[in-house]
Amino acid sequence: MTEAFLLSFRLASLTALTLLVLGVPLAYALVFKRVPLKPLLEAVLLLPLTLPPTVLGYYLLVLLAPEGVLGRWGLDWAFTFQGIWLGSVIFSLPFALTAFREAFQAVELEVLEVARTLGLGTLKRWRRVLLPWVWPGLLSGTLLAFAHTLGEFGVVLMIGGNLPGETRVASIYIFDLVQALEFEEAARAASVFVLLSFVLVLGVRFLEARWRSITGSNAR
Amino acid sequence: MEIDYRLERPLRLHARLTVTDLTVLLGESGSGKTSLLRALAGLLRASGRPFDGLRPEERRVGFLPQGYALVPHLTALENVALPLAGREARVEALRWLERVELAPLALRRPAELSGGERQRVALARALALRPRLLLLDEPTSALDASTREAAVDLIERVVREEGLPTLLVTHDPYVAARARSLAVLEAGTVRQQGDPEQVFARPATLGIARLVGFSNVFAGRVRRHVEGGVEIATGEVVVYAPTKTPPPPDAPVHWGVRPEEVMIVRPDRPLAGPVARNRLEVQVRRIVRKGLAYTLRVEGPLALDVTLPRHVQDRLRLAEGDRIEVALKPRYVHLFSSEASS
Repeated sequence: MTEAFLLSFRLASLTALTLLVLGVPLAYALVFKRVPLKPLLEAVLLLPLTLPPTVLGYYLLVLLAPEGVLGRWGLDWAFTFQGIWLGSVIFSLPFALTAFREAFQAVELEVLEVARTLGLGTLKRWRRVLLPWVWPGLLSGTLLAFAHTLGEFGVVLMIGGNLPGETRVASIYIFDLVQALEFEEAARAASVFVLLSFVLVLGVRFLEARWRSITGSNAR
Repeated sequence: MEIDYRLERPLRLHARLTVTDLTVLLGESGSGKTSLLRALAGLLRASGRPFDGLRPEERRVGFLPQGYALVPHLTALENVALPLAGREARVEALRWLERVELAPLALRRPAELSGGERQRVALARALALRPRLLLLDEPTSALDASTREAAVDLIERVVREEGLPTLLVTHDPYVAARARSLAVLEAGTVRQQGDPEQVFARPATLGIARLVGFSNVFAGRVRRHVEGGVEIATGEVVVYAPTKTPPPPDAPVHWGVRPEEVMIVRPDRPLAGPVARNRLEVQVRRIVRKGLAYTLRVEGPLALDVTLPRHVQDRLRLAEGDRIEVALKPRYVHLFSSEASS
């Protein structure tokens, strides 16, 4: 059980971190910059929200297979940890991106503009104005991505299968136990899951409240 | 400071004006006032002098937008310290807050301040930049009447003390009247700039007249030239208007008189001299209270708005339906130049 949970944690942490690095600049650009074909881009990025995990998993499996389009280019990641990491990143992107975007949308563009007239360069504007304003939103989006990846099942199963220590994460482990009629162990693992998820969601809610107290404070 | 700026977007605009002391730019909404300020701050693409080609960070132009744009998660003091650097930043920021009489509230966040206080924080922050030019966008639009006066007092004082060229944009005639210099933006260009008194009394165009509360404007024809001026016929009324550049006889013209400058003739005090010429018998149709003054709508051969101070109305005790006589003092009759009518 420990192995499966540790693997879940590793996957969720890496996924959340990747999304923080990718998603923040993307969300910033979507909110503040002119992006060509913005609605189209947004629709593509939010697509995993409506796709069944099995559909996404299927396409990734085909692409990442040794003879797949990506597999031939060295991304031969079917049934590997990298494979389920890539799948999780794509699958959780809409959640993280939506949270990041909301955080940036609450920022008044005029405040950033006036900061420029006050002589603050890009770095200073991020450090003193933008980041303190949006960090609770960024953190809550990251936690959300973490929690969502922890609970991921379909995509991981399709791409990664069920290899202990490599792709058998906690959710799949529980599925395995039930298949094997080991209900006692399944119950233990499930209760750990409930507790973990509860703490995470509580954390997100707390951050959202904190974030609202910052963004609501400029109300005129 | 001489300003000469051209904008293409969001609207075409070519503004040339001189900013000295407190200069007010008056214009209707949509005339491009805010766009001009944003261009001067470097936030909108434009060409012109000064600051051509400089980024907003390099211009040292203090810009106060309508919403003040304070950083919500920083205290008043931290907001003012934004443009400052070094160990003395907070001390200096506090000094600027003292200048706007806000030092006791230095540790409050914007949400804990009133509209007027936020504006003073934003003013202190702009001053802390030691700007070469200060831009204020509608600074009184979100304030109530009493705060408005105090805000203009403070702006006026600080600007004088700092010797800072300041361009204040507004559509509020009260603020405009307090300027050192008043410029009016109309149809994409500065159509008139001068002493506020001159602009209020002698608006260059009908549009400017409307903007500065010059409500009694009439179309007429030049009847004949007389000593020092012309006689203008509007319907059956003939009005004498002094002018140094009389339009030719029979030319169509516009003329007008401010509602504050229409005189009510008291039956016990007969008029003499040139005033006796421009007299009209009218009937009071409507009396509206405006603060401590009254606005009368009177009708006769011409329909006029007449503003009366309270002490005059207290003495005259006019009522709706009264028949009275009004006089238009020639020196207050303004003849619009011919291109103004087009």
